[in-house]
This record gives sequence, structure tokens and C-alpha cells, in this order.
Amino acid sequence: MRALRLALGAAGVAGIVTGLFFLLPQPGLWGVVVWFAGAIALHDALIGPLVLAVGLVVARLPDRAVVRGALITMGGLVLITVPALLRPGPSPNPTVLVQPYGRNLLICLAVVAVVAVVLVVLRRRR
Amino acid sequence: MRPTLPQFRGRLHDPRTAVAIGRWLGTAVLVCFLTGLISHFLQHPPGWMAGLLPTRPTWGYRLTQGLHVASGLAAIVLVMAKLWTVYPRLFAWPPFRSPAHLVERLTIALLVAATVFELFTGLINILQWYPWPFSFTSTHYAVAWIVAGSLLLHLAVKAPLIRDNWRSRPGVDTADRRALLTGVGAAVGAVTLTTVGQAVTPLRAFDLLAPRNPDVETQGLPINRTAAAAQVTYASSDGWALEVTGPKPYRITLAELNALPQMEVRLPIACVEGWSANAWWTGVPIRDLLDRAGVPRGTSLRVESLEVWGYYRTMEMPAQYADDLTTLLALRLNGEVLSLDHGYPARIIAPNRPGVLQTKWVSRIEAL
Repeated sequence: MRALRLALGAAGVAGIVTGLFFLLPQPGLWGVVVWFAGAIALHDALIGPLVLAVGLVVARLPDRAVVRGALITMGGLVLITVPALLRPGPSPNPTVLVQPYGRNLLICLAVVAVVAVVLVVLRRRR
Repeated sequence: MRPTLPQFRGRLHDPRTAVAIGRWLGTAVLVCFLTGLISHFLQHPPGWMAGLLPTRPTWGYRLTQGLHVASGLAAIVLVMAKLWTVYPRLFAWPPFRSPAHLVERLTIALLVAATVFELFTGLINILQWYPWPFSFTSTHYAVAWIVAGSLLLHLAVKAPLIRDNWRSRPGVDTADRRALLTGVGAAVGAVTLTTVGQAVTPLRAFDLLAPRNPDVETQGLPINRTAAAAQVTYASSDGWALEVTGPKPYRITLAELNALPQMEVRLPIACVEGWSANAWWTGVPIRDLLDRAGVPRGTSLRVESLEVWGYYRTMEMPAQYADDLTTLLALRLNGEVLSLDHGYPARIIAPNRPGVLQTKWVSRIEAL
């Protein structure tokens, strides 16, 4: 176990050093640092507290297992679609960003909600 | 003095949840990292590797790059669930117990920042959106190593905790935890199902949220770089003749190319952004063109495009692709003459290569 941990740790340090070796000589490095810090700030100060606050409410609800699963699924779908909704400017070509993302996201969220309701009904009947 | 810190009573913020979700996340990151390396080396092989890149299976890059983007999207959900699990530890007091503990927390900050950075810049990149001051491809590659390295270091540090929580135990694994993990699994499934159709043909009907839908196409295929973006017009190819260099260099017009024996192959375009689609290509085998120039087998090529500017204006093709029977200078796509956006008058199509190397608007083929 100890040897394995040391080997893993050494490989990890080697990986980090390799990454820094490629990263540090690049132009725009300061931008990378800002985006790294932004990634932590965005999660720890905004997304994390928001999700935990929702969790406090959900914990008090009946059928919270299903409600929570539905909300996690909806959150995942929103997260991967938000950039497509926010992207400014025209699409670079007629075959990229081809979908009506707002409408499609609403359809997906509605499907998740319907599935959640069906699950709740089925669980209560049992 | 201990400041007022948030208190967390939720019982699922524990090592068992972290291990259960961490396993999935680790698997997704591993798949993403390895397929990313494959993509990197197919595009930028070191000299010794160029001759070893495989031409089969023809759909190899389609599979690996489809997996790259799918595992990255899945990891977005999983990393959020993982961070939710360990969030209370952000407020541990005292902030560090020893210098070693401080270093460990700093490497975790690096792991989190690098992972979130890598996944979200990847997500934004597949939209062909570049709202940052650095080069995407080289940064994405460098940070991938930092993610992989800091993840291995994290596994090494947490190994005893991971071992102790690897198996479910009665009393610890309550219905509540199973429900949470099921919910996370459902989220991964939903994200995958609504996006993976951009690469997996049978699931196209469910492709509601991906940047691409292969059903939105011209001549049966989506486009990555348009002629307008490359500043190529029909006028660019007025008086066009392909130049082939070698022991017996020559120039050949489009009419003469059309008069040569044609070959039809079915090969996919598979893009770094994760979408892919199959198509029928008709044209002249590159090997035939090289034979006319007296270029021996085993010769690698440099292919130039009419493109005015672009990272991929010139492309190098290792010998095994040049000699492959299915590698064409394609003149037709799905039975029609190539449109300008698809590379008129002629483009390269080769097996198992990233879309950016399937050079369009070819002007010159140089034997190296």
C-alpha cells in the first residue's frame, strides 16, 4: 500500500510538473490564472451555496428522494446548455449551434418533471 | 479565535459519498484524458510517432473523440456532485493543521480549479466560442496534465480513506444515499442522451442540446470551417490546377482529375468538437496521384490549401495514410460535386484522422 501510494503520488507530481512545463511559457498565462481563480470563485461562492440552499428546502419536502434526483438532473441539463444560451454573436456557420436551445431545454426539463411525478405516484401506490 | 463558520448537518457529505461519486468522476476523467491524448498525438505526433499512427479502424477517431466529449460532459455533472459532497470541508477549522496539510489543501485547490477550468473551457469550445485571452488548444492540453497529475496525487493522499469506503456497508448505505447516487446517475444519463446523438447516429433523435445535429447539414454533412471563414471563393479556384511535387512534378486540372479512374469510399468526418458523421466520397486515390509523380511508397506528404490563413492551411500526412487505399483527393461528396464549404474543387479524405486534417480546397501536394 505504502509503495503504491508513493508511486501514485510521484506520478501525480510528475503530471503537474509536465502540465506547468507546457503551460508556463505560453502567452496569455495571466488569463489562465484569472480563469482558474474564477472557476473556484464561481463554484465556491455561487453555485455551491445556491445548491446547498435548495437542498435545505428539498430536505423538508415529502418524496425528497425523487425531487432531489429530478433537480440534480435538471441542474445538469441547465449547466451544459447555459453556454449555448449565453453565447453572443452570430453562429460561425450554419451547421453549428443549430438547435433552438431555450425551447429544447424547456422540453427536457418538462420531461424530467413528468418522469418525477410519475415516479412519485408509483411509489405512493406501492 | 474561531470565526463563525457555516455548519453542515447533512449526513451525505461524507467520505462514502465522496468515494462513490469519485469513482465515476475518476473514470470519466481518465477516459477524457486518454482520448484527449490520442487526439493530441494524432494531430501533433512527435517525429518518432508519426509513422506509427494507425489508419484502422477507419472510425477510430470518431469513437475516441466522441468519447472525449461525452465523458467531459458527464464529468461536468459528476464534478458538481463531488464538490457538493465535500463542500463543508472548505470551512474546516483550523484551516490547516501542519505544513503538509496546507500543501495538501493547496493541491486540492489546484485539482478543483484545473478540473472545473478544463471542463468548462472544453464545453465552451465545442460551441466555437473563445471568450478568453489564451490559446484554447495548447492551454487545454497543458491543463489536462495538471488535472491528471493532481488527481493521482489526490488518490495517493486519500488512499486509506478510499479503501475504507470502497464497499457499501449496512447502516452507512441508507436509502437516502442510494437515492442521491441514483439521482446523479440519472443526471449523467440525461446529459449524455441529449448530446451524444451528435456522434452516435442511432441516438440522433435525442440530440436536443448538443452544439451540432448531423441532420443539419449541406450535402449530407455538417461543416466546421466555412469557405467564408477561410476566405476562399469560387474565384479562388479560377484556373486552378493541382500541383503535385516529386521526381516527376506535374500540374493537373479539375477536368483531368475527373477523367482519371475514380474511387468511392465511405469514411467519416470526425471533428475535435466531438460531432461526427459518415459520408460517401468519390475522387482519385492519393496513391495514384503520387505514382504519376514517381513518388515511392513510404513517402510522407505536405498538403497545402487555398486558404488565406488558418492553423491548418498546411497539413502533414504520414506515409501510411498517403499509401492507404481509401485516402482520396475527393471531388464529390455523397454523389454531388463538392460545395465550396466542403472544399471545392478538391479536398483530402483519409481514414482515422481528425477533421481538421481532412484539408479542404487543396492546391498542392508535396512529397517530403
